[in-house]
Amino acid sequence: MIGRKLAKYGAVFTTQLQSAAAYPLDLAARSLSIVLFMVVFFGLWRATFAAQGATSIAGLSLRDTLWYLMLAETIVLSRPRMAQQIAAQVRDGSIAYLLNKPYSFLLYQAAFSLGDSALRMLFNGLAGGAVVWLLVGPPPAIWGLPLVLVAMALGWMIDFCVAALLGLTAFFSEEVTAFEWIYNKLLFLLGGLLIPLDFFPEWLQRVAKALPFAAAIYGPARLFVSPSISAFAGLLAIQVGWICGLGLLVALAYRQGTAHLSINGG
Amino acid sequence: MRRELRFLLALWQANLQAAMEFRTAFLTQVVGMVINNGLYFLFWVLFFNRFEQVAGYGLADMALLFGVAACSFGLGVYLFGNATSLAEIIGEGKLDYYLALPRPALLHTLASRSVASGLGDASYGLISFLAVGPHTPDGLIRFVVAVACGTAVFVGFMVLVNSLAFWIGGATQISSQALMALITFATYPVGLFDGTAKLLLFTVMPAALMGSVPAAFVRSFGWPELALLAAGAAGFLGLAVLVFQRGLRRYESGSAITTQS
Repeated sequence: MIGRKLAKYGAVFTTQLQSAAAYPLDLAARSLSIVLFMVVFFGLWRATFAAQGATSIAGLSLRDTLWYLMLAETIVLSRPRMAQQIAAQVRDGSIAYLLNKPYSFLLYQAAFSLGDSALRMLFNGLAGGAVVWLLVGPPPAIWGLPLVLVAMALGWMIDFCVAALLGLTAFFSEEVTAFEWIYNKLLFLLGGLLIPLDFFPEWLQRVAKALPFAAAIYGPARLFVSPSISAFAGLLAIQVGWICGLGLLVALAYRQGTAHLSINGG
Repeated sequence: MRRELRFLLALWQANLQAAMEFRTAFLTQVVGMVINNGLYFLFWVLFFNRFEQVAGYGLADMALLFGVAACSFGLGVYLFGNATSLAEIIGEGKLDYYLALPRPALLHTLASRSVASGLGDASYGLISFLAVGPHTPDGLIRFVVAVACGTAVFVGFMVLVNSLAFWIGGATQISSQALMALITFATYPVGLFDGTAKLLLFTVMPAALMGSVPAAFVRSFGWPELALLAAGAAGFLGLAVLVFQRGLRRYESGSAITTQS
């Protein structure tokens, strides 16, 4: 029964994956962004390490920092713009066609978005990994990759929940762009996308590491450069906690939102 | 020239009036972008809290660099909003509307759209300048000159890249990548890069002429910086007009003559 229910979301995921795979050149072109960011980060952090005259800052070498940033960028650049999608569907009325179908709107969005992200993540990871390898050498540890992939998947779910919450605000406000900008910046800063949280002041590190942004980005990226079973177990507990909490909030927001929704067109 | 200026002012006025029809959305975009940039800049606050200086830059230098780049980009997309979507307009044959009217097609196309969030970027840039200075009348004049040149370089570069659509058809992806590259590099000190990368940032991808060079000029007057800015602005704008005109000869109509209100 559950298997049959999940099968339809599997079909949505596969369809979206095939749709993304139909344009490999487009995917490759999008991966240029990560190459660019890594070149900029290399310039910045090489100069910073040189100015400090240090081979290691807060336990991270230049190589660790670059590989950390590569994974963090891979996660962020592969996120779907789901909040915008939902807002657009509310504005043009097409959401009416999704709400009356025999599936959960939220699970449909999750399967659709995951199909969108998966290939992008692969292309970004390959392009970013190649350029960082050329710039600073191979990654510090590769054995933790399976653990990192699990952490990335759970991090993706945390981001999905927050993005869904933002998207659902469209049921009330229709326009979510400004909220999305602000969420993105919080993710960039407190998630450790632009600068590893280890370089923050002690008090801010403690605050940031307890937030969902870090569980989505910093956790998997840090695990990639220094993998350990204990770090993975700690991260897993935090991620599962956030997914449960945020998942509940999304379900509540969805119930409120559908009661409040007024369709504009269609 | 005066006629074109009056035409531009009329277009900008019409864009503003259209935006005022959705006042709340407009203000949300403007204020949202100011907050967005402020949050982004916290990165540099945290960075310099830890490292103090990099490539000769401190926090105030970075605030000025970020401010000048944000202001140039913001004015570019607010006053000439179609500069970033020209490839789409060309590719879809939508230039017909502008070509059918007795006004300069490029100017008309570029200024026919205002991106509201651009005003937020420009406001943030101004706030940033007011926060870190230099707080002198000549400093303000240098800021205005630097931003004007940065805006010209930005618009010129975007027209050049988007005009590729005349030759290759679909240039939307290339132009959005070029836009992101320009903005990314413009908001970092050019001193971080060396050799070929540095040369590229002054020529093929003129991010240095939108960020580091104008910021250095605002900080203190220098003839080399002024000459670079003036040459960059005139060069990119001139080249943009030339390439667009050349491209027009290859333009294929999309039979998209429609009336616009």
